[in-house]
Order: sequence, then structure tokens, then C-alpha cells
Amino acid sequence: MTTEQPVFEYDESIIGKEFELGSQEITRERIRRFCDVLGETNPLFTDDEAAAAGPYGSVIAPPGLVYSLQLGQGPDAKVKFGQATFHAGERAELHDVVRPGDTVTARQKVKEVFAKTGRSGTMVFVVRRTEFTNQDGVLVAAVEQSMVHREVNRG
Amino acid sequence: MANQPYFEEVDPGDEFEESWLAETDHVAAYVDMNMGGAGAAAGRFTSQEGAESVGMRKPIVPGVMSMCILTRLVTDWMGPQGKLRTIDVDFRRPVEHGDQLRALGLITDTEEQDGAGVVKLDVYLENDRGERPLQGVAVVELPRQG
Repeated sequence: MTTEQPVFEYDESIIGKEFELGSQEITRERIRRFCDVLGETNPLFTDDEAAAAGPYGSVIAPPGLVYSLQLGQGPDAKVKFGQATFHAGERAELHDVVRPGDTVTARQKVKEVFAKTGRSGTMVFVVRRTEFTNQDGVLVAAVEQSMVHREVNRG
Repeated sequence: MANQPYFEEVDPGDEFEESWLAETDHVAAYVDMNMGGAGAAAGRFTSQEGAESVGMRKPIVPGVMSMCILTRLVTDWMGPQGKLRTIDVDFRRPVEHGDQLRALGLITDTEEQDGAGVVKLDVYLENDRGERPLQGVAVVELPRQG
């Protein structure tokens, strides 16, 4: 890894500004559909009777349902670098459960933009943080998503 | 309710796994449910034409959907009283439609933190070509005995 920084442009004024992406009610039907698609069989998510006797007193949403929510277009760092963009990583923090009938609101900001140069070339990383709160303002989950911009070797 | 592992019962080196087939119908349903506003950008997830337009040989599974499968592995294992604190995943390669995958978990550390039983796990997806398209780390709190 070298320490030389590549030249790239982006909108520095966007860093740290929070944007509300939208809200969505998490219905029992939505939880059921998510479980069907993802093959969830955990009774906490699928079985009303068993979940009622469990630690939360009702069915809850699988963690993946919350961090899968895409409620709108987030802030754009307007990175001018490379010809290809791909999803490099995702980090989810789970803070509280989501129950049927809860309304989840997502707020997103661009946390940082930075470059790395290694053996495979230069990459520019854009890290966005999305926080999900419920109708009481309680933080239920947060996700940090890393997108990478890189040049395509056309040789 | 499912079996419940306790902090005192697990050790570094313990492994567990599940399987998952990346079926086209399920990917399409996931995209419809969660990425309805993605428009043409979602084409690489749903059609051969869309995949080829961005240089891919087959349609692929959204990264977050694959991450949901690793999350399912952990939440199935940790039982109803377990709590998933974090899951952190790197996307190394695409998961393609039709891939048969193993989701694997390996306990790497156990630690008591302020009375809580905290377990650290390596998690990854392995396809039938021997590749690991997703690798990550999950941190779980398990209930204590007694």
C-alpha cells in the first residue's frame, strides 16, 4: 500500500449532512412476506403463538428486514473517479427490535470519502451511514454501507 | 421455540452451517419488496439482459440479500434469547442466480462484558465453485445459565 493520494473530486460539503429518506410501517404481512422470500423459519419471526410466549411477547421483524429497507435516494457525494462502482461492504448494528405496527424512519448521511491505492490500483470509498428509528424516536438499527469507485483496466 | 444455546456451552472453534439456493424467483421478490425505486439499476439483479449490460455473465443477488442469509444463519443459531449486536460483511465476489451456497459460522472468541456473554463469530457464504463471495464477523450476546 502506498501513501500517495490519487486525484479525485467529490462534493465535500455533503459530508455529515443528514437527509431523511422516508418512513414505512412494518406490517405483520410484510414480515411474513420477507420470511417467505428469505426462508426464515425462526419462530420469533414466523409463529405468532410461539413468539407470544417468547422474550418479546410477540413476533418481531428479522434484523435483515430493517437493514434491507430502501426508503428513498440518499445524499450523493458526486465522486468523479473511475468507471465502475461496486458494493464493498455493509456493517449493521442492531439496537432494538421492530414489532408489527411499528413505523420505521430512515435518515442517511455521507460519513466519509477516502482513497486507497494498492496493488490492484486506486479505489475511492464512499461510506454512508443510515440510522433507523421507530415511531418513538428510538434507534433500532444503523447501517454503514461502503461503495467503491475504481478505474477499469481496459488493457 | 427453537433450541437455546447458553454462553457457558459454546467455545471457540464450534461451527454451524445452513444451505441456501439463490433462486431467481426469490431474488425477484426481494428486489420487488425492497428496491422498487431502483428502476433500471436493479436490472442486473433480475434479468440476463440487465446483467450483461453491466458486464456480468449472469444476474446476481443484491449484496444486502446475501447478507440477510448470513444474518439468518446467526439468528437461527443464537436461539430466541440471543441478541445479534452487529454483523459486518465484505462483498468479495458476486452471488449469481442459481448458486447453491453454504452459510457457515465459526466461533472465534467468547468474552464476558459487564455480565453479558458476548460471542464473536466469523461468518461466510461459500458457493459450489469453492469461492467465498461474502465474509464477515458477527457479534452476538447469548443468555447466561442460572
